[in-house]
Amino acid sequence: MSGFNPTSTLEERARVALNDEFLRNAVKYTTEKLRTNKKSATDELGNWEDWRDRGRMIRLHTIAHLDYYLSLFVENVRKAGGYVHFAKDTKEAVDITMKIMEAKKAKSVVKSKSMVSEEVHINHALEENDIEVVETDLGEYIIQLAGETPSHIIIPAIHKNKQQVADLFSAEAGETLPPVTKTLAGFARSKLREKFLEADIGMTGCNFAIAESGSMVLFSNEGNARMVSTVPKTQITFMGMERIIPSFEDLEVMASLLPRAATGQKLTVYMSAINGPKRSEDSDGPEEMHIIILDNGRSQQLGDPEFQEVLNCIRCGACLNACPVYRHVGGHTYGWVYSGPIGAVLTPVLNLDNREQWGEVANASTLCGACHEACPVKIPLHDMLVYIRRRNVEEGIVKKAEQLGMKGFQIVASNHRLFRSVLRFGKVAQLPLVKNGMISSKLGPLKAWNSFRHAPALAPQSFRDSWSELDQELKQTKNELPADIKQRMEEIVAKRGKQR
Amino acid sequence: MKPHPLIEQLDKQAREKEGVFFAHIANRLGRDRITEKPVQPVRGVPDFWREYNLGEQERIELFMRNWESLGGTAKRFATKEEIAAFIDELAHGMSAKQIIRAKHGLLEEMKVDEKLSDLDMTIWEKDSPADLLAKAAGADIGITVVDFAVAHTGSVVVTSSPEKGRSLSLLPTIFIAIVPAGVIKTKMGEVMREVTKWNQNGMPAGIHFISGPSRSADIENDLTIGVHGPGIVYALVLDEK
Amino acid sequence: MKVSLFITCLSDAIYPRVGQAMARLLHHYGIELHFPEVQTCCGQPAFNSGYWDTARESARTIIDAFEDSDFVIAPSGSCVSMIHHHYETLFVDEPIYLKKAKDLIAKSYEFTQFLVKVLGITDLGAHFPHKVTYHPSCHGTRLLGVKDEPYQLLEKVEGLEFVPLPYAEDCCGFGGTFAVKLSDISGAMVTEKAEHVLETQAEVLVGLDMGCLMNIGGRLQHAGKPIRVMHLAELLYEGVSKQS
Repeated sequence: MSGFNPTSTLEERARVALNDEFLRNAVKYTTEKLRTNKKSATDELGNWEDWRDRGRMIRLHTIAHLDYYLSLFVENVRKAGGYVHFAKDTKEAVDITMKIMEAKKAKSVVKSKSMVSEEVHINHALEENDIEVVETDLGEYIIQLAGETPSHIIIPAIHKNKQQVADLFSAEAGETLPPVTKTLAGFARSKLREKFLEADIGMTGCNFAIAESGSMVLFSNEGNARMVSTVPKTQITFMGMERIIPSFEDLEVMASLLPRAATGQKLTVYMSAINGPKRSEDSDGPEEMHIIILDNGRSQQLGDPEFQEVLNCIRCGACLNACPVYRHVGGHTYGWVYSGPIGAVLTPVLNLDNREQWGEVANASTLCGACHEACPVKIPLHDMLVYIRRRNVEEGIVKKAEQLGMKGFQIVASNHRLFRSVLRFGKVAQLPLVKNGMISSKLGPLKAWNSFRHAPALAPQSFRDSWSELDQELKQTKNELPADIKQRMEEIVAKRGKQR
Repeated sequence: MKPHPLIEQLDKQAREKEGVFFAHIANRLGRDRITEKPVQPVRGVPDFWREYNLGEQERIELFMRNWESLGGTAKRFATKEEIAAFIDELAHGMSAKQIIRAKHGLLEEMKVDEKLSDLDMTIWEKDSPADLLAKAAGADIGITVVDFAVAHTGSVVVTSSPEKGRSLSLLPTIFIAIVPAGVIKTKMGEVMREVTKWNQNGMPAGIHFISGPSRSADIENDLTIGVHGPGIVYALVLDEK
Repeated sequence: MKVSLFITCLSDAIYPRVGQAMARLLHHYGIELHFPEVQTCCGQPAFNSGYWDTARESARTIIDAFEDSDFVIAPSGSCVSMIHHHYETLFVDEPIYLKKAKDLIAKSYEFTQFLVKVLGITDLGAHFPHKVTYHPSCHGTRLLGVKDEPYQLLEKVEGLEFVPLPYAEDCCGFGGTFAVKLSDISGAMVTEKAEHVLETQAEVLVGLDMGCLMNIGGRLQHAGKPIRVMHLAELLYEGVSKQS
């Protein structure tokens, strides 16, 4: 489907982003703000590390027993009168959705935010079948009008400025709207209000699904998720199969982590637990409720010790806000649905059938570990990125030059004699390029580095070649190791021996 | 009501498919399917958080402070009459035309309807002849009595019922939450515990935690209030039992 | 007691002065140093790029080099964190090397970690009358947990005026082969980092990892900015030797 098989490479997409001054400033500004908000919210709560541990343990346990909790959830949804459907891939999810549309003779759909529905590319499928679909999250509405995909998990239109939004809304309104936030939001409110009241179907995502009660939980600030799950007669919810938590008690932990990690809020304005369709005597709420549970590559991570933990993700976006790479290139550089560090992991692992295309996304990281540090459930994303890179190497989806380089490295680095010879050879060979101890040439492989920096030259004498002289020199003065230090060192060594 | 044949067919397919779906998960996890409830190594919040409990006055004050800091208005009243007088003043002061309220003993005792008799008042109740959803969408003010409130997060909790639609707190321009002081808990978990108790006897279809006015920062990070939900929200705390 | 230098390939080939400063400082406290020359590189460039077989052969030289050492000291938090964080994974199928890897993990330290946590020294009596800022490298701080040590050491340097680096914890964009593979992004990152360094108006940028310093320093040179870029060991050694 369009937008999912980009003809561009990661490097090309990054270049586009890097040339977009507004995008870069907007992303920096917003991610910094979210970072600061998160910091003050977690400080205010206190014991953040304990909360993270708790969240991680609950997620680990749930995923390790996913069949049990998922089937309990399904049982309870049915008890409450809801329908559950299983989709192993996006095609099945689309087919199920279209059958429901047919049964309901649906002509229009209002949607609240759902990253899973982006995976499924449901809007495209609905439009192909002449069903109107309207995104109702303000940010999602903006990018839908722009014909784009979200560039941040929680702030989809992070890359759009007021004027761009005003232009998009003006086209929709048929009159010129000023680039004033209040006016623009007001237009969206009244326009979308009509849509809510007319729509046949309300479509939502699912932040958490509670196994013991069969509840699906939605977090939102604008209230559109509530509208979508209150006004239309039929509700369809897209849910990744890993969204489960055992109980309402566990929801307290997740609700303490998610909004704080995402935006620094104690709680989003609305947190809704929806337990099946409306009760028969209720006067509002959907009469019919469908939950489509999607696998789409998730089950492949189960039982894989390197990747199972990625299913713990609660989609808060904190890793995006912490990531220094995301900060410079924004979300579209990652090419698929999810961006930032979580996107750099999910994109290759959820698209295993298309790894030639997506494997390289794991390279979009310096492995600085800021993502792991920011993650409210402590997913080791920085390690997973290396595992994906290893897989790329094993499968040969890497550049030939890199393979050759690494072969050379292996020969040299596995033998210290050769290593020494290469250093000695290198310092002579580099001479034509060295000026003032630096190399600034942009010839061949030096271009990548030297476009932005000067490269250092190899030292005239390596440390290993200088060691015997230095060693001799040091040995001429005998210094006494202070007794207390000596004792401490001996204790450390002794303690180590015992631990073995 | 009998479901549409296509839905019936989908449901049948799902029931046939689920065994394979769950078996596949178990298989990936390298074991047989688990059908017995597993022991959770941890459940819910850390112990230190369980122990966090405020006294009643502190709870009320913290709730009100947090609600205000989220952009809502919080007021405290000793008696029902005072609340009714406040609502009267508010509704007339802003020239409200349509009001919708939950059917609730407390609101009847307050005699809100008498005070607002000159306005178009709709009561959300079972078998109401009105199109309640449309009424709520057109209302200037929606009034309900909340089931709980949470001091720590500045939230009110409303559950859906035939006398208390979800739309009451969602569609009107202004939302007034009557908060009996006794329902204010220190933290979310106490509400979760109550909710879990309902589990056995069937839950309401919707449980909504509401923390302040609807907001968005999606346009250039500018905070906008009242995007889809009410932009003006009052929490009126009542001391009188 | 055998204390050995794990010099790291970068310091060996390009910045021998860093290793020399470190050796001289430790010698001053009566620590006798060894330099086992079978060591080459910790293997991180290959490991992080996904070439684990390559990384393993390189890592083997490090494990072999320090088999009979009691303490192993390196002027790089990144290389030590490679050992601590990944060597067990690399040798999981080789019981003998796995055992040796675990031993190495227990006894290897980043330079400031060794000074402060093992030797208990924060005041070296150094004098360095300059305006200095510090870039905390990601692997050293986040993976190895070296956070306070450099600050403790800098605080005790007489005459030194410390200026905090804005956005200090943001990665400089080096990331090993990342700098070459995605050179545009890396370039944008190091450009911003260098700007933050300039904002401090410091005369000296100090750090604990020559990879990052080579990156930031190279950028500063490219931009024609005369800021000295030094490893903390160099700064301390210079501060001590000018005293005597």
